[in-house]
Amino acid sequence: MTDILMELGQNAFIQQAIKTLGLPIPIPQKLRRSDGPWEDRPLADRDVAVFAAPGGALSAVVAQTLAGMGAQPTVFNTAAESADLAELGEAFARPPVFQSLQSIPQGFRTDALVFDGTGLEDPAGLRTVYDFFSPLVRGLKPCGRIVLLGRSPEALKTAEKAAAAQGLEGFTRSVAREVGKRGATANVVYVDAGAEKRVEAVVRFLLSPRSAYITGQPFHVSKKVQDADTIPWTRVLDKKVALVTGAARGIGEAIAQSLAAEGAHVVCLDRPADDAPASRVARSVDGSLLLVDITEQEAPKVIAERLLEDFGGVDLVVHNAGITRDKTLQNMKPELWDQAVDVNLGAVTRITERLLDGVMRDGGRLVCLSSVAGIAGNFGQTNYSSAKSGIVGYVRALSAKVSRRGIAVNAIAPGFIETRLTAAIPAVQREIGRRMSALGQGGLPRDVADLATFLVSPGAQALTGQVIRICGGMFIGA
Amino acid sequence: MTTQETTSGNGKGGRRAVVVGGMRTPFVRAFGELIEMDAIALGCAAVSGLLKKLDLPIREVESIVWGGVILPGMAPNVGREIAIDLGLPPTVEAMTVTRACASGLQAITLGAAAIERGEVDVVVAGGADSTSNAELKFPQRLIHVMAPVALSRKSTPADYLGALMQLSPTRDILPSRPEIAERSTGQVMGEAAEEMAQRNGITRVAQDELAVRSHHRAAAAVASKRFQNEVVAVDTPKGERVYNDTIIRANTSLAQMAKLRPVFSRNGTVTAGNSSALTDGAAAVVLMSEEKARALGYKPQAAFKSWAYVAIDPRDQLLLAPAFAMPKALKLAGTSLRDIDVIDMHEAFAAQVLSVVKMLGSDAFAKQRLDRRKAVGDVDPERLNIHGGSIALGHPFGATGARMVTTVANELALGDKSLALLGICAAGAQGAAAVMERVS
Repeated sequence: MTDILMELGQNAFIQQAIKTLGLPIPIPQKLRRSDGPWEDRPLADRDVAVFAAPGGALSAVVAQTLAGMGAQPTVFNTAAESADLAELGEAFARPPVFQSLQSIPQGFRTDALVFDGTGLEDPAGLRTVYDFFSPLVRGLKPCGRIVLLGRSPEALKTAEKAAAAQGLEGFTRSVAREVGKRGATANVVYVDAGAEKRVEAVVRFLLSPRSAYITGQPFHVSKKVQDADTIPWTRVLDKKVALVTGAARGIGEAIAQSLAAEGAHVVCLDRPADDAPASRVARSVDGSLLLVDITEQEAPKVIAERLLEDFGGVDLVVHNAGITRDKTLQNMKPELWDQAVDVNLGAVTRITERLLDGVMRDGGRLVCLSSVAGIAGNFGQTNYSSAKSGIVGYVRALSAKVSRRGIAVNAIAPGFIETRLTAAIPAVQREIGRRMSALGQGGLPRDVADLATFLVSPGAQALTGQVIRICGGMFIGA
Repeated sequence: MTTQETTSGNGKGGRRAVVVGGMRTPFVRAFGELIEMDAIALGCAAVSGLLKKLDLPIREVESIVWGGVILPGMAPNVGREIAIDLGLPPTVEAMTVTRACASGLQAITLGAAAIERGEVDVVVAGGADSTSNAELKFPQRLIHVMAPVALSRKSTPADYLGALMQLSPTRDILPSRPEIAERSTGQVMGEAAEEMAQRNGITRVAQDELAVRSHHRAAAAVASKRFQNEVVAVDTPKGERVYNDTIIRANTSLAQMAKLRPVFSRNGTVTAGNSSALTDGAAAVVLMSEEKARALGYKPQAAFKSWAYVAIDPRDQLLLAPAFAMPKALKLAGTSLRDIDVIDMHEAFAAQVLSVVKMLGSDAFAKQRLDRRKAVGDVDPERLNIHGGSIALGHPFGATGARMVTTVANELALGDKSLALLGICAAGAQGAAAVMERVS
């Protein structure tokens, strides 16, 4: 189902008419996305404004990240505090421009705002957040990015520091709603002590167009997962073997394509009944086809044997296959309960346990699809919600068990994504689903695919045991 | 940033290739005195002048390795055509290579490599380009539609008319305007130079100063007859004899340079004055194995200690690659910039030369991009392009590398300098460099 408001928004005449007539129609901003494989310098020729609250620990890694991405930094600290930026600026011929928050040039515009809050000492320090963002947020360009960096609150020595750090999250969620109609996003990255270097991969992703539909979310960068050998920025999945379930269409198909574009060999798994679409996808990504019903008793064994036989194992697993069997609880037949719980959760755990036993290689990545509706609860979805929040528990518990093997485990919780499933929702509800978010529109399967690809990339060693919402800042659930 | 590179050292098998001598045609502004001569004719002029100067018996020539950028479509192996046109022995094998503006140097290092591998003893290597004879390119659609009709014997006038009807007169028939633009990004070279000037903080004045210096030094070299045995007069088909380079301006000044308008951006800094001009010309050197040279009674001038070719991302700073190639060649030669007596850099644009020079002198660049602790070194202006560069002399794309090798070999052969470093930027964000040493 096409999004009519989005289509209208593309028409210059209608845009003008709405503006002139002052019609109260919130036309959502078309999001900027990236085609093709990951770029070496995704921010080439883009401007990024940077500020570090006193005592910030990440200036070196922020400078490195921006230089590597090809960005032109504008710095609101003093030159002395920004020595790293100055050195990188010279080497990459993007010398930082120094500005003062007291005298911001008129009409100042920027593609991104990056705030290093790792030095925040107490609630009074939060004032620096206001000082930086309040005057600059107006100049954030359409589809811009806000990224805040803070210390992980739970590990901080004083409760006051923790309060300030946690405050960044509330700020992020709120500012995400304010900039959403411009297509801009805001996210916060919490960094464990010793994990500073790992911030680069996460910030790269959040500043790039590949995080277009993720906003208002916290990310926790830790050292839990064993180091990967190298962190490439392009063709990040070369030589990797990936298993994607439910790959025949929709989000699964987009994930298969995105992983293949980064160089992975993708084993496309779907039900035998979906032979035709699944094999079409497998062909288009130059991958392999695996037709199995994941709820079958023998499925884990069949999958494990096939992966061992053909590829000697597997590196990346994306559990995408899912179904809904909606009914109110009192009218729900037991088989509807069983089907929803088994496909969405039971099969995921059975297959994972089998793969972790000698099939999945060290340094692997596991991603499970959860759901915002599942986590937040939804009318008529007791079965689905049970399964999808079960995924959250599974991911959290499992991540701790396998981090020593260098395996990261995360969940993705999509909000309203334009797929066959959402197209089947009645029109009024569908429209509400789309608009009830900061970005005011549905996401695309490729948005979820971009996130899944990031989470299985080597750089995602920074993240494990997390549930990343990709919902355009949906108003329900937290 | 990652760089892809191919390199080779010298004398791996104990054999050493040496430069015996070099020669070039006058470098003439495109569509000027040499307009009637294509790359093959220009190449013939340079090679025959060189063989005559060296008094080299033609039976000794075994191979021609040639470089060019705008290759004649019907005879792209310019080297072989030169051998045939000059009446060299039919056994002189030849190839023609292209690496954009580094083509001439590429041809020479290929020749040196062939000698050092023991394949041959005597090679003529060089390059030529005639921008005046660039072939206009018709839209591919015109060819796709018309060719089947034209190639079929059964075609009637109605078929021709029918085919023509399918074409848009504005879009499909008129040839496209030739431009020196990157195929992948569409960025014109001058725009790339302008971007580099801005990003590296290279001022208009600094560019103009370099350009003026280039002209003054080239003019001084001409006046002192330093180029006398490097440049051979060319007889054109019209019966005129061309003796001199036509782009050098002996009496230009900073004030005159400052009057020129920026070409690629309204508030820009790159002007026609501080850029190299479209040029016609050719240059060639004779390379021999050292033993052969001595056996034939030649005094070798110079040899290659190393060379390096690198590439970087064309979407970033298109003409910065020499800043990577030059340190690479120095490292392969086991020497450092401090010990270099002569530095010869191709001046595509003053902004590009100065950007490269700035990065060679930058600790930050060395640390972040070359994996070195300290800067490669400061380039002493007194050692850089001591007889002028492409801005003053002109830049027939394929000839420039051979022009540089010739001038540097002569400079080394004079005796008081022993090491030289060459650097060339090329389209596609490639860079070339070489370290040459005096042979005594």
